[in-house]
Amino acid sequence: MTAASPATLNSRTDARSGAQLVIDALEHEGVRRVFGYPGGAIMPVYDALTASSLKHILVRHEQAAALAADAWARVTGEPGVCLATSGPGATNLVTGLANAFMDCVPMVAITGQVASPLMGTDAFQEIDTFGITLPVVKHSWLVRDAADIPDIFAEAFRFARSGRPGPVLIDLPKDVTQANVTVPRALACRTAARAVFPLDAKALAAADRLIASARRPVLYFGGGIALGQAEGALRAFFQRSRIPAVATLKGLGALPTDWPGFLGMLGMHGTRAANTAVNDCDLLICVGARFDDRATGRLDSFAANARVIHIDGDAAEISKLRKADVALAGDVSAILSALSGETGEIEGWRRTCAENAERWAFRYDAPGSGVYAPALLKQISAAAGDSFIATCDVGQHQMWVAQHCRFSRPQAHLTSAGLGTMGYGLPAGIGAALAEPDATVVTISGDGSIMMNIQELATLRRYRIPLKIVLIDNAQLGMVRQWQELFYEENFSEVDLWDNPDFAELARAFGIEAFTLDRRADVPGAVERLLSTRGPVLCHVRIDPRENVWPLVPPGKSNSDMMEA
Amino acid sequence: MTTQIDVDFLPAEGAVVRLIGLVERRGYELDAMNYVPAPGTHRLSMVVRPRPGPRRIETLKAQIARLYGVTSVSEMSAVPRLEAAS
Ligand SMILES: Cc1ncc(C[n+]2csc(CCOP(=O)(O)OP(=O)(O)O)c2C)c(N)n1
Repeated sequence: MTAASPATLNSRTDARSGAQLVIDALEHEGVRRVFGYPGGAIMPVYDALTASSLKHILVRHEQAAALAADAWARVTGEPGVCLATSGPGATNLVTGLANAFMDCVPMVAITGQVASPLMGTDAFQEIDTFGITLPVVKHSWLVRDAADIPDIFAEAFRFARSGRPGPVLIDLPKDVTQANVTVPRALACRTAARAVFPLDAKALAAADRLIASARRPVLYFGGGIALGQAEGALRAFFQRSRIPAVATLKGLGALPTDWPGFLGMLGMHGTRAANTAVNDCDLLICVGARFDDRATGRLDSFAANARVIHIDGDAAEISKLRKADVALAGDVSAILSALSGETGEIEGWRRTCAENAERWAFRYDAPGSGVYAPALLKQISAAAGDSFIATCDVGQHQMWVAQHCRFSRPQAHLTSAGLGTMGYGLPAGIGAALAEPDATVVTISGDGSIMMNIQELATLRRYRIPLKIVLIDNAQLGMVRQWQELFYEENFSEVDLWDNPDFAELARAFGIEAFTLDRRADVPGAVERLLSTRGPVLCHVRIDPRENVWPLVPPGKSNSDMMEA
Repeated sequence: MTTQIDVDFLPAEGAVVRLIGLVERRGYELDAMNYVPAPGTHRLSMVVRPRPGPRRIETLKAQIARLYGVTSVSEMSAVPRLEAAS
């Protein structure tokens, strides 16, 4: 249910090309930046772009356009926009669309298509973009008539933002963007208002009763907090109820991670305190999380003795994997605010959780004189303070960021949680740094991941984006190596990256300042240099290739079966 | 056990493919279907059967309901499976 207020795009009666209507629509939606890469079928739009107020960021691979738009959206809360040509341009977007789809990021992807009469003839750079992207978009439109462009774009932006946000795609055949149409009426564009959901008073009362009678409650929250802009309500509920809390990978930052009572991330690489609390709880209050297998481990032993209150913005998530005793679908913020937060006697439980958190706190006194990545990451986030935004790649370094960095807001931790896209970090850093120029944006990448979108160093240089890159180089596909070591009897298969380039030299070749760090004693100076450099900078960190991420719940095991070093 | 799901939706390019694709991707076999275009909304009735795994028909219905242009989703349970004679 979305209330919509009609607005007027313009009341032009002169002829406009389809491409001009695309630009008009983007401007009307308040779009400031688009990330893209030109080519034949999208050329009319690029032609119209030059006369517009839109700032275009020319990436060097369309996947990076989608991933940068994703990060832009996560930071601003507004749909990110990416643009690509037909055929290979469109197929290159697919990973980025899937990434946004899995992590519920609002995005509008615009692709060129061959001219309508050629569609279906295997024309040059013709591919069924609509069909290829069907499973990874919320919705898509193939525009058949230029006159439909204003309405379709308005709908696309509305739908990308609404409910469970996600990516939408608009495919534009070249004859449509080239056609001149007279749009005789005022173009009815609709600006979406926030959806209003009635609160379920009976379910709220039932939830209040369960909370009041629980002896060992745990608040388990995820990415739905940021999606529902519910940080304020979550923090208020946490403070008035004083219920110990754990977060999913995507939930990190919704509560400041250094608040007492917050036990850390749960799941496969979660803290022992978080997993133990969930294991032992008698009430699990799940807010904006979806019982993802990385978080739950073996589902049938996850919070096995707990009742469940499930609060989510998306009704389809409730009871999808774990039956809820009380289901509350709707506006997460409003629901949290409506809960009384009155608990029974839980002081003993709180103390137990706090003692566990202290007893099992991460240690940073690893032996040796090499760089210990967890300690380095902790120092960087502490030094950057509340302006810190981390954009991660995928692997061991991603988990170290989640475990050891301090986050004071959800926008501070951008990670490819659902799809686990190696190559996310650098384009996401670009998107985030453009979205929030005053933030200290740090991309933490691995030597495997960075190579997936290394060409974006050219984008950094071109726009002088002051991104800090911390490249954790273990000369391995570390996370895969760790699994091979632990679960495949050390049968190491295709994980050795002994032939990596010299990353500092490589960065310099792109015109980016760079330096190498390989001694623990040099860490303070390196952190200082990283954060004080005005332009883009890459810190190449060599670490011990045998480092593993601990603790670890083996795949398919219960979260109580945690392995330690 | 099969379930018949009736979906009413606004006609649009790709709408039927989107519906069928969602059902298959979410882990259901499509045993049968019937498509009735009508003025206004169209109706697609699908007889679906869950593949092994933690699947709830309520979840599938909610996932269908959030698709663009879907106006209603309803369910008829325990549809007997029609076997071919030979
Ligand atoms: C595009 C893509 N391909 C493959 C994988 C599987 N994968 C997950 S982690 C990983 C290793 C990552 O290596 P690196 O970036 O060096 O990080 P490290 O684990 O060493 O910190 C791989 C190959 C993936 N997640 N994404």
